[in-house]
Amino acid sequence: MMSSKAGSKRRKQRDDERLFAIVAVIGSLVFGAGFCFLLFVMNKRENNPTDETGYAVANSESRLIPPDHPRQLVNFTLTDRTGRTVTRSDLAGKILVVDFLFTSCSLTCPAVNGQMAQIQQLTTNRADVKLVSLTVDPRDDTPAVLEKYGERFGADTNRWLFLTGEKTMLYDLIGKSFLTQDLNDPFSYMPGNFSHTERIAIVDWHGNLSGYFDGLNQNTATAVVNEIKKMGNQNL
Amino acid sequence: MKTIVVKCLTLFCALLFAHSILAMPTGGDQSTKSYSARGVVEKIAPDLRQVTIHHQAIPGYMMEMTMDFNVKNTNELSGISPKDEITFTLVVGENDEWVESIRRVGHSAGTMTNKMSMPMEMSHGMMMAELKPGDLLPDYALMAEDGQQIHFSDFRGKALAFTFFFTRCPLPDYCPRMNNNFEQTRKILSTDTNAPTNWQFLSISFDPEFDTPDVLLNYADVYRGDNTNRWLFAAASTNVLADVALRLDLMVMRQGDNISHNLRTVVLDPQGRIYKQFDSNQWTPQQLADAIMQAAHLSSQ
Repeated sequence: MMSSKAGSKRRKQRDDERLFAIVAVIGSLVFGAGFCFLLFVMNKRENNPTDETGYAVANSESRLIPPDHPRQLVNFTLTDRTGRTVTRSDLAGKILVVDFLFTSCSLTCPAVNGQMAQIQQLTTNRADVKLVSLTVDPRDDTPAVLEKYGERFGADTNRWLFLTGEKTMLYDLIGKSFLTQDLNDPFSYMPGNFSHTERIAIVDWHGNLSGYFDGLNQNTATAVVNEIKKMGNQNL
Repeated sequence: MKTIVVKCLTLFCALLFAHSILAMPTGGDQSTKSYSARGVVEKIAPDLRQVTIHHQAIPGYMMEMTMDFNVKNTNELSGISPKDEITFTLVVGENDEWVESIRRVGHSAGTMTNKMSMPMEMSHGMMMAELKPGDLLPDYALMAEDGQQIHFSDFRGKALAFTFFFTRCPLPDYCPRMNNNFEQTRKILSTDTNAPTNWQFLSISFDPEFDTPDVLLNYADVYRGDNTNRWLFAAASTNVLADVALRLDLMVMRQGDNISHNLRTVVLDPQGRIYKQFDSNQWTPQQLADAIMQAAHLSSQ
């Protein structure tokens, strides 16, 4: 009698333990799944350090960011990926869509150039619009290397120029006509300490910098094209 | 049963804890930093809010260059005129930078400005630092795999081949290829009975926060195996890297846990001068071995 009572008590205890275990396992699974989801979301946000708000916001409306001060396209002599010499006067009277890259840049650059490829596609009927990609690593980014890189994005050799040349010339052009140098952390930004190298810049017919769009925003291609339309279709 | 439950809970707690550590911002100190500097005034804005200074190198921050600086307290510029030699403090905040504590220490007849005047300004000052074959590499300090500080000068008397990498590098044709090439080159030199014996390899991480000595050692094992002869792994601090990068045209761009970078592999001669630089990833172990052998022989001269 005693032993059976003790046995049932032990059984009840075992049942309680089992119940607790099941609840605990389910609980921790739910907790774990939620936690993993949180981790996933957080990682997604962390992977986009150039945009603190994360990819989710990078899908928001893309707006024109005005230049910090008036900037003009300065004179330059550079080489495109076909080996042609390209100077400022070759691009005079065109609307320019400009981005910044180095071919060993593996995160932001492909995303920005993806937008550039879309812009190229959306402006095929605009002979007055040219796309220009400027490298900050000319020692590595020779015309041959840029040729391969351009092919990756289906770049048209006549409409989308990848320019390389003397580093001083390139940095002079980028620093004077487009981007500000941020010396706070030399490794947060693209070499040359240029800040906001993820931006796509627009230069009007007169060689003035109109402003920038966030090259990591998925709506930038459309926004750039709209901006170009706003500038009108100048009859040359 | 209970123990399993406890184990499960412990595991999740551990995971939670681990993530909270991993997710902690690594941005570091966001407060202002001050740098003492010296230079010659070139121009002062009429409103006294900006001054153009041709300044000497600001160690750990900027190479020698001519630059426009903001001035917060316009009284700072009273009694200062162009060509004055000054000492000043450059304050770098989170969103802006300015100069203060400007003191006139002399008047330059324009010698410094003339001597240094180049057909370029601002960013281009930084490129004056780029090294060519024959140039001496500054004697930087690095943190070695054993936690000890080492210097490039520790390898004087040997041909030193060094390259840059980071252990979390995900692209097989980047960092892993560099270290694989080092292992191949080391084999060539070790087995060639005619090869000199005064040579050394050094793989330098540009991710010092993550690539601690322990991490470096584990990573090194993969490439070096049991034979650790003449091949050391180390990490460069951000300050050192800022200078090295300018001098070797090394491009490093940190994006979260990942780093976009180009590849620079350098052979120094036994006196610490640049003998040859290999860019990108198309060079072969045999080419590197040849350069090391040639450089090593220079010791007798």
